Amino acid sequence: MTPIDQIMQQDHERLDQLLEQSAQAVGKDAWQEAAQFLEAFRHGIVDGHMVVEESTLFPAFELQEGGEDHPLTALLRKGHQDLRVFFEEMAEAIADQDAETFDDLLSTVQTILKQHDAKEETELYPYLASALADQGEAAGKRILDFEAEATS
Amino acid sequence: MSEYNGCELPEDLFYDLDYVWVRPEEDGTLTIGVTDPAQTMSGRLQKARIKKIGTHLEAGRHVATLESGKWAGGVPVPFAGEVIARNEQLLEDPHLINIDPYKDAWIARVKPDDPQHALDNVKTGSEAIEALEAWIKRYGVQCMRCSE
Repeated sequence: MTPIDQIMQQDHERLDQLLEQSAQAVGKDAWQEAAQFLEAFRHGIVDGHMVVEESTLFPAFELQEGGEDHPLTALLRKGHQDLRVFFEEMAEAIADQDAETFDDLLSTVQTILKQHDAKEETELYPYLASALADQGEAAGKRILDFEAEATS
Repeated sequence: MSEYNGCELPEDLFYDLDYVWVRPEEDGTLTIGVTDPAQTMSGRLQKARIKKIGTHLEAGRHVATLESGKWAGGVPVPFAGEVIARNEQLLEDPHLINIDPYKDAWIARVKPDDPQHALDNVKTGSEAIEALEAWIKRYGVQCMRCSE
């Protein structure tokens, strides 16, 4: 089984590609295609990646590090909350065929994701295997199942 | 003016208990900006985008987005309403937010759809200050204000 930190990092890369494909479609005025890629991205990150992190990975890290109010997971949870609103606004910009607003939101979201992902990959993921009772096997399987569903 | 970890927290403003402060104006509109701890967390701001005048926003949507070299984020409105003014100076010089977040660097003025309930989701006074102190502690913020 691939280690949990690698699975999560690869999922970041897969999701970044979906967002980029949506942006490229906006650039071609292919609004329906843009909406489909954005929805695939949103579903993957909100319903898959974030759910696994918030329900399993963050609590395991917090348990190991001594409490729910850990500054790292507090910041990451807040990042998820902010991102969910941005994703809705991006979907609205596509529905309105408003490339200028979409591009502004994309720039902000990509900056947030870059910082957020780097923080997770350097400060959270490397410690997960030891924090999780099964070394992250169940969480990794959930992410891989989600990826398989997206490509089927 | 309350202060915690070097962060200034005016007691007469309303807060969403996250990034945003709200000040009621005499004409019934509400001015929005970001707090001292929020500007500290963001770092030196390099870009500000503020929604155009006339834009209608639902509660929770972003009236502005801010970016520094190390951080990006949105400024949500705690109530639904229409943008009736925006601080054009910030578009040219977003760093003003790091210098004077509560006065010169206000972000936008919004006319609420429902003035009677516009402040339902924000807090003020000691209740707000206590919650903001917990916020500062949670994120480990030590405030610094730029002078220029």
